[in-house]
Amino acid sequence: MTSHLHVYMGTLILEKMAGLTYCIALSSSSYYGMRYFSTVSNDPDTHDDFKPATKHESSGISLSDVVEKDVKDNPVMIYMKGVPDFPQCGFSSLAVRVLKHYDAPLSARNILEDPELKSAVKAFSHWPTFPQIFIKGEFVGGSDIILNMHQNGELKELLKDIKSNQ
Amino acid sequence: MGSRGASMVLSRANRIRSKLQTALEATILEVDDVSYQHAGHAAMKENSSDNKETHFNLKIVSPKYEGQNLVKRHRMVYDLLSDELSSGLHALSIVAKTPHETTASK
Repeated sequence: MTSHLHVYMGTLILEKMAGLTYCIALSSSSYYGMRYFSTVSNDPDTHDDFKPATKHESSGISLSDVVEKDVKDNPVMIYMKGVPDFPQCGFSSLAVRVLKHYDAPLSARNILEDPELKSAVKAFSHWPTFPQIFIKGEFVGGSDIILNMHQNGELKELLKDIKSNQ
Repeated sequence: MGSRGASMVLSRANRIRSKLQTALEATILEVDDVSYQHAGHAAMKENSSDNKETHFNLKIVSPKYEGQNLVKRHRMVYDLLSDELSSGLHALSIVAKTPHETTASK
């Protein structure tokens, strides 16, 4: 259970150190990176932190905890279809384009890759569709709302104290 | 809101219209089926051929939106259409205004 957490946090930190200043796509690279570990790291010399991460159900960390932590740790968090550089839905694409107007670092997870995560996010926000955007831990809405907030200046106000600090 | 039998026959667009009209007492209600714009994308390929009404643009002007922020306005729509969302309705684009806001913006 703790090793899962370490891997999760470790990859997050690694990505930040790698200087991905603009767009930290957690989902396709780090989140699923854990799965890729399992194909190479059955080596007995492997440090605990890098041993295969088990699936969420058996890890002791529920997906709702993952979502809760995501939105707490990432000032701008988007759950979307695809990744920011390759959205796989017009609405997700629109939301990313809006958020990229601002200096705030954008964190994302791809819900197309994980139906269980998708359900967990829906249950967390009580919102049926994607994308879903959280700013400073608060649910903000989907693409219509983020576009509206961009147009009326609310988004600028909300994001003004979040700056990329890399 | 009509009998169950009748609602099975109506198109989804008509069901959406009647549910929203009844609950929100809309002064303006536009329901545009834009499913054709999304016909190619991944989630839609799994849908059976008789389930084509998946994406709608909604424009709703309702006095019930007075004093509600956008998240609450959208939630009201999603709550009213929860049966549709669980039976193949995939996404909504929603413009939700109060009568006051529409006159102010003109």
